[in-house]
Amino acid sequence: MNATAPTRTEVCLLLERVALQDRGAFRSLYTEAGPKLMGVLLRILGTRSEAEDALQEVFTRVWLRAGRFDPTRGAGMTWLVAMSRNHAIDRLRARKPEQNDDDAAALIPDTAPRAESQLIAKGEARRISECFDTLEPARADAVRGAYLDGLSYDALALRHDIPLNTMRTWLRRSLLKLKECLDQ
Amino acid sequence: MTDAPLTPREEDDALAAEYVLGVLALDERLAVEQRLKSDSDFALLVARWVAHFAPLNEAYATVPVPPDLLPKIESRLFPKTAKLRFGWRTWLAGAVTAAAIVVGALVLMPPTAPGTIIASLGTDSSSLIYEARHDGSNLLVTRVAGTPAPDGQTHELWVIAPGAAPVSLGLLGVDPLDVEYPRPPAGWVLAVSVEPAGGSPTGAPTGPVILTAEL
Repeated sequence: MNATAPTRTEVCLLLERVALQDRGAFRSLYTEAGPKLMGVLLRILGTRSEAEDALQEVFTRVWLRAGRFDPTRGAGMTWLVAMSRNHAIDRLRARKPEQNDDDAAALIPDTAPRAESQLIAKGEARRISECFDTLEPARADAVRGAYLDGLSYDALALRHDIPLNTMRTWLRRSLLKLKECLDQ
Repeated sequence: MTDAPLTPREEDDALAAEYVLGVLALDERLAVEQRLKSDSDFALLVARWVAHFAPLNEAYATVPVPPDLLPKIESRLFPKTAKLRFGWRTWLAGAVTAAAIVVGALVLMPPTAPGTIIASLGTDSSSLIYEARHDGSNLLVTRVAGTPAPDGQTHELWVIAPGAAPVSLGLLGVDPLDVEYPRPPAGWVLAVSVEPAGGSPTGAPTGPVILTAEL
């Protein structure tokens, strides 16, 4: 539909037109943002069928809620990814506990540095990347893993093999330390 | 870093970050979402964390979407009126038969809980009743009698505009459903169907429709 690579501005403009019930803009937005949002949903939910189901739900919400998008508060793609992550995480958390355990086990990675450690070192990601460097590597990895994979505290505790309460204290301290660095 | 207890401000900031990260349990997430509606300072903390973590989004791959998905989404949102009007009416007629007598009462009462009651979904053949309220920005649907769907199944809430296909508003589990949605105008229908756990796999109701109410 659109030969140029998607940019933030394009997504913002499309969202503003979708808010005005522009169906053509909705199609363009699906073309521009769909593959990225599918990547988010697939990574968090783990199966194509559930990710596809979730993508339908996300775009339904995009149509209904585009009027709430406020470009002064962030980029359009950020808003779309946040909506997709929220929906995927709600789905995960609504699953039965035993399912969550299975998922957590399936998601336990090897201990090699994760590819995104390199990826996020690029461009605008420099700042958070630098701040991640102020954390112990295991803690930075826990924060990144929670964000990208949608892991619950239960799953994180299992992955890092520490008690749930310790995990929670540990992660909250890490987040506040991260914030201290980000706010500097 | 010290082991001192967190200050209230730090507690809030940590909670906002936990919500954005996604580590909280469902009940905690719902409590945060409730708070976001009324606490603008807290909403700002959440917005800041969304922005802080946004660079991590680069790590999500792009994955091709199947070609038949957009038409499915469009048919949910923009049904071809003539054909689908028949579709949903047939669907609704089946619902009415299944439910024997439908008591879809429009109740106009002063609000006692957040929002105004806009519909009560119940039948006289079962003890299950859901109550739908609207608070100006969100639709809140609470089970006021009966039990949730049995294991392996869920109740799913649908909204149907005149002439349009049903659109899912979410799943009705143990907790009330709270969804951002404009107040549906008169003539629209709310319906509850029984679906497999996780909700309808197709984006349209697949199981029996057990409750409906026209607004």
